[in-house]
Amino acid sequence: MSIIVGVVTFPGSLDDRDAVRAVRRCGGTAVRLWHADPSLHGVDAVILPGGFSYGDYLRCGAIARFAPVMDSITAAAREGMPVLGICNGFQILCEAHLLPGALVRNQHLHFRNRDQRLQVGSVASAWTNAFAPGQDIVIPIKNGEGCFVADARTLDELEASDRVIARYIGGNPNGSLRDIAGIRNETGNVVGLMPHPEHAVDELTGPSLDGQSFFLSVFRALAAGPGGAEAGRGAANGAGQGVGAAASPAGVSEAGGRGQERSSRFGRRGKASATAR
Amino acid sequence: MSNPEITMDGPENPQRDPSRRTDLSSALAWRRSAPSPEPATDPRREPTAATADSDVEPDGYTEPNGYAEPNGAAGDSEDDTWTPPEPWSPPAWSPPAAWPPSPAEQPPPADEPRMAQQPSMVDQPPMAGHPPTAEPSPTDLADAGQWYVAEEQTEWPAAQPSVAGPQWGAVEAPAAGSPRPGVEPLVVPAAQWAVTKPETVDEAAVPAPTGQAWPPPSMVEAHVVETPIAETQVVEAQVIEPVAEEDLVPADVDAADMVDAGVVEAGVVDADVVDAPAAYLEASTVDADPTVGDLTASDGAPGPYERQEALHVATGQYPLVSREPATLPADGMAESSVDGDAMTPPPVPPEELPPIDAILPRAEGYREVGFDTVHRSLATAAEFQPYRELGLEPDEYARIKQILGRRPTESELAMYAVMWSEHCSYKSSKVHLRQFAELAERIKAQNAEKGPRSDRMLAGMGANAGVVRVSDRLAVTFKVESHNHPSFVEPHQGAATGVGGIVRDILAMGARPVAVMDPLRFGEPDHEDTRRVLPGVVAGIGGYGNCLGLPNIGGEVVFDECYQGNPLVNALCVGVLPVDKLQQKAANGPGNVVVLIGAKTGRDGIGGVSVLASSTFGQGSENRRPSVQVGDPFLEKLLIEACLEIYDLNLVAGIQDLGGAGLTCALSEMAAAAGQGMAVNLDLVPLREPSMRAEEVLVSESQERMLLVVTPENLPVVLSICARWGVLATAIGEVTAPEAHGSGQLRIWWRGEVIVDVPPGSLADDGPVYARPMREPFERELMKVDRPETLPRPESAAQLRETLLRMAGSPNLCDKGWVTEQYDRYVLGNTVLAQPEDSGVIRVDEATGLGIALSVDGNGRYARLDPYIGAKLALAEAYRNVAVTGAAPVAVTDCLNFGSPEDPGVMWQFAETVRGLADGCAELGIPVTGGNVSFYNQTGGNPIHPTPVVGVLGVFEDVARRVPMGFSGEGDAIFLLGQTRDELGGSEWAHVTHRHLGGEPPAVDLAAEQRLAGLLAEAARLGYLTAAHDLSEGGLAQGLTECCLRRNMGAHVALPPDGQSPFVHLFSESSARALVSVRKGQEQAFASLADRHGVPKNALGIVAGTSLVFDELFEVDLDELRRAHTATLPALFG
Repeated sequence: MSIIVGVVTFPGSLDDRDAVRAVRRCGGTAVRLWHADPSLHGVDAVILPGGFSYGDYLRCGAIARFAPVMDSITAAAREGMPVLGICNGFQILCEAHLLPGALVRNQHLHFRNRDQRLQVGSVASAWTNAFAPGQDIVIPIKNGEGCFVADARTLDELEASDRVIARYIGGNPNGSLRDIAGIRNETGNVVGLMPHPEHAVDELTGPSLDGQSFFLSVFRALAAGPGGAEAGRGAANGAGQGVGAAASPAGVSEAGGRGQERSSRFGRRGKASATAR
Repeated sequence: MSNPEITMDGPENPQRDPSRRTDLSSALAWRRSAPSPEPATDPRREPTAATADSDVEPDGYTEPNGYAEPNGAAGDSEDDTWTPPEPWSPPAWSPPAAWPPSPAEQPPPADEPRMAQQPSMVDQPPMAGHPPTAEPSPTDLADAGQWYVAEEQTEWPAAQPSVAGPQWGAVEAPAAGSPRPGVEPLVVPAAQWAVTKPETVDEAAVPAPTGQAWPPPSMVEAHVVETPIAETQVVEAQVIEPVAEEDLVPADVDAADMVDAGVVEAGVVDADVVDAPAAYLEASTVDADPTVGDLTASDGAPGPYERQEALHVATGQYPLVSREPATLPADGMAESSVDGDAMTPPPVPPEELPPIDAILPRAEGYREVGFDTVHRSLATAAEFQPYRELGLEPDEYARIKQILGRRPTESELAMYAVMWSEHCSYKSSKVHLRQFAELAERIKAQNAEKGPRSDRMLAGMGANAGVVRVSDRLAVTFKVESHNHPSFVEPHQGAATGVGGIVRDILAMGARPVAVMDPLRFGEPDHEDTRRVLPGVVAGIGGYGNCLGLPNIGGEVVFDECYQGNPLVNALCVGVLPVDKLQQKAANGPGNVVVLIGAKTGRDGIGGVSVLASSTFGQGSENRRPSVQVGDPFLEKLLIEACLEIYDLNLVAGIQDLGGAGLTCALSEMAAAAGQGMAVNLDLVPLREPSMRAEEVLVSESQERMLLVVTPENLPVVLSICARWGVLATAIGEVTAPEAHGSGQLRIWWRGEVIVDVPPGSLADDGPVYARPMREPFERELMKVDRPETLPRPESAAQLRETLLRMAGSPNLCDKGWVTEQYDRYVLGNTVLAQPEDSGVIRVDEATGLGIALSVDGNGRYARLDPYIGAKLALAEAYRNVAVTGAAPVAVTDCLNFGSPEDPGVMWQFAETVRGLADGCAELGIPVTGGNVSFYNQTGGNPIHPTPVVGVLGVFEDVARRVPMGFSGEGDAIFLLGQTRDELGGSEWAHVTHRHLGGEPPAVDLAAEQRLAGLLAEAARLGYLTAAHDLSEGGLAQGLTECCLRRNMGAHVALPPDGQSPFVHLFSESSARALVSVRKGQEQAFASLADRHGVPKNALGIVAGTSLVFDELFEVDLDELRRAHTATLPALFG
């Protein structure tokens, strides 16, 4: 049974269908998640796609992070579900405090779309373990607010703990500090990436096939993790709310803990869930 | 026909007994309607609103949108002294045939008698959604002529069920009043709304939405009953309480049903339903503080909409969007409630009340209501109207009066002004554009001779965009349009909304937009205006297109002095649709509901087409900025998704985008296309600025709006889909059947008055047509003899090298990466080729590999030298650009940019261009499927070069066979295809090195183009080619530069020894040429294939190294070449 990856559609998400296509091309099963539906429908991993959620008229991702589905994703991510935020998704993850730092307006103030060379950094993540450390890859970037910033201490910490998963080489396209193109969280299950791997999975439409490895990585991570994807999905489906599998590289899967978390989470939502029913 | 005014009654409410109406009631009605900009009255509400003693008629503006209360409060006793105002006498608006008698002779004739006999007329406000019709009520039918009786018998019964279903019935009682199905009240299912609302939306959000759109009267009244006095203050919030709703709704439904069925007498119904409202009315009129009056709705507390917004921001969730698709139909009303909020009309200050003594002498039955109405136009026939300021000529104005049989109202005048503007009516170009329609016939005839071949074209000229079938299942629609004038005035928004507009055109055909392209032309690159305009335009296109999620796959960036004051911003969009989802704009089906979806209407773009697009720039053009629209790409994205979902479910009977001329254009075109009429309550249009006047609402070009026609049964689903996507949707009217004179009438109500009553065809189709004088500009002879052969040419190798580098870095030939990097070319994941490739190539069907190629090209300098040849050259280049990728060209779109048509020289250029294009297309056998004309691109006496921009669409059976332009295989053989002649008239070389424009453009040979295209397509299919690139501006030198730099592969070439000088070989711009690289080992096969196709070929050399080497001449390192090629734009624009 193939791995099930959920792709969230917010109002204004643009690369959602591309992410779905990429997952499928790489051999996974993609499920589309709706921003207003808190259920994760038993997916094993989640992708927050690129685009302009809610028009990005406020800070990018600032509104999307409050979508009902984000509650579930945040909770699941804290328990180890692999989550990849691409471009706007990266911005949402930062806004949701699943990743440190922020993405601000490109230094040159222009939107920029080009085929960008990257150097892979940390491969200790659910989304980069199929790469070789230091691998030189080409992935398209396209963003207007892709300049990664954080205070020096955070940056030092990211580097010290090997949490930079990719850096721009051959020219920094947006002014990101220390050429950072993507980072991961401490446990490696949550990754934010400014470039668009979903646009580098098809020879016909992409500049390379390097993007495939991001998706293959998560399949590998989920298949390998103790408890694996099957167990995780079973638990999630059984619960009906789909918190998903815990399959971080650390591979900790505690169904009981998830259950408690879930009930408390929905307890907090109280009225909303009652209304929904 | 007898005078209908006398026999007909206004829209009668069967539930009401006219005799019960009193002056007081009329006065109240008027008071509410005239002073307050509130949404129009809802006749259907009347029954509920009527007072218990039935003496007071609250018809006026009751709560159509939930504000009724405030108005009611305003009904102080002074008003009671008013004589019943006659909002309008429906009879007067019957078929135009009846009117022609000039208003002067026929003063609202019906008024007097009617007033006396039928006070009820006063009260008949159009239904909340629906205008009262001119038809007699059932009760009056006895008096009416046979004509009406007959109509009633045939149509009336049938219409009832469809409109007054349970959902509708709840809101609208008096449906029976209108004989025509078309006039049925437009209502939203109140019951559903009330029930589902709480579920769909968070508690906080609930109150907000309901408010205005259609606060089901029942709800309003329910509330009223409970708190008769307090309600004035908090109208909206309270209205929403679903509390007593359930109880009331059934009652209403019953009443309506009974009435519909003709079972119950009006009086009986009144008794049932009217009690509560009556109480309310009295309470509010008498007890409420008069000063609160109209302002109640905005008395400090946040309006429902504001609250909703706050909620939205706080939760990051659209209140309306929380539902699973599967359950959608159930909560259709949710979104209408939102509409309601959105459209809360602004309170009207009391001082705006029309003065009592404003009643004009001759209008006995007519009373000033503060704005121009049809009634008023009859009463004030001689009133001066500023038609010239609106861009109408005296004879056009006279024609309008002739059509209407009276002077137009202000709103009608505004509508005719925009619809008869050059931009909308094509009045100067129509006589020439007919050639494109004839072209289709010419091509069909040709094809018939060649043998049976299915016609690819599914929709052509006249549709929003041409539609071409590309497979059994799929069709492609594409069109290019101009947005020139707005983009000069306000580059960012002008360009952005240009993209938005063309995307909606494509959407309106039923297609998912899949890509955009942008041919742009600016003045001198180093001019300060260009530095302002270009970055703004590029950012606008990028900002809008990127946020919309459409890849930008190509276009042009051209600089020429002539565009200094008139930059050209054209935008092309292409969409893909299943053949069976093709949408039409005809508003068929009387009784169907007209739904406006998308953005609220604001004051942006007022008169854009007439003020901006149809005049030349002179002093003070910065004052026209308000005529430029403002775009919201996020909303357009939601609009696209909502529309596509609606198409998927086959819920649309007709759809049209709102672009130039806004609502006016959409309403009149949709009605005219179907030969039907429409009844529209303009008060229901959600407004961004509540103080807008009717004519502003009608001509506003606010972006991101679409007009749908849906059947009443489908309405709830459509509304719920829009709600899920957070898109406002409002039922504003309905389609009405043709009238006695054979065609429909477009009637628009505003504040309860009829302000527009016109034959839609007169707006949409019967605009003036001018055969403007034409004269070949005498300067053309002078230019012709100013031949480029007289210019000094580079001869030595060093000079040639220097020229090549200079050309490669010239603004028109340099790398446009600075521009194109600001566009997203990857989104949607189907972009196979994008700029700087010759064509944009999109995969249309992942399963089969079906794909399309698109190219847009034009050369104003060629067209200036010879418009006929120039048009053919533009066509040839676009055709060739598509062909080099390996696609088969199948269809054409065009955007014709010219100076003022009032200049005979410009008109001649235009006529020649159209002739050239039509001849060219006929020769190539591909139809023009649609396009756009942009005149008045002229500053003072200086028109731009005639600039036909031609877009050609090509089709790939398998897009994997596409041929890119960059050399890629070391050792591949390079061939030059086609014949090179000494043709430098209008060339880039002459422009760059001598600022020269003269002589004749390159010869055009479309037969040679066809042979070349045939060769390229076959070679691509056979896999011979590794690269192919069209040769045009800049000639071979530029072609090699681009082929080498694309993938950083050098070339070693030797110019053909055919007698031409190296200079001519390098820089001539002869047409029908291409550069290809052939896979190693297949040179012989390719050469013989070229022979077979009759295409001249020259083996130039091979792909090799990292420099461009011209044997025995010079060598340029690719790095040096790249620096020259790429540095230009960043240096100019940062």
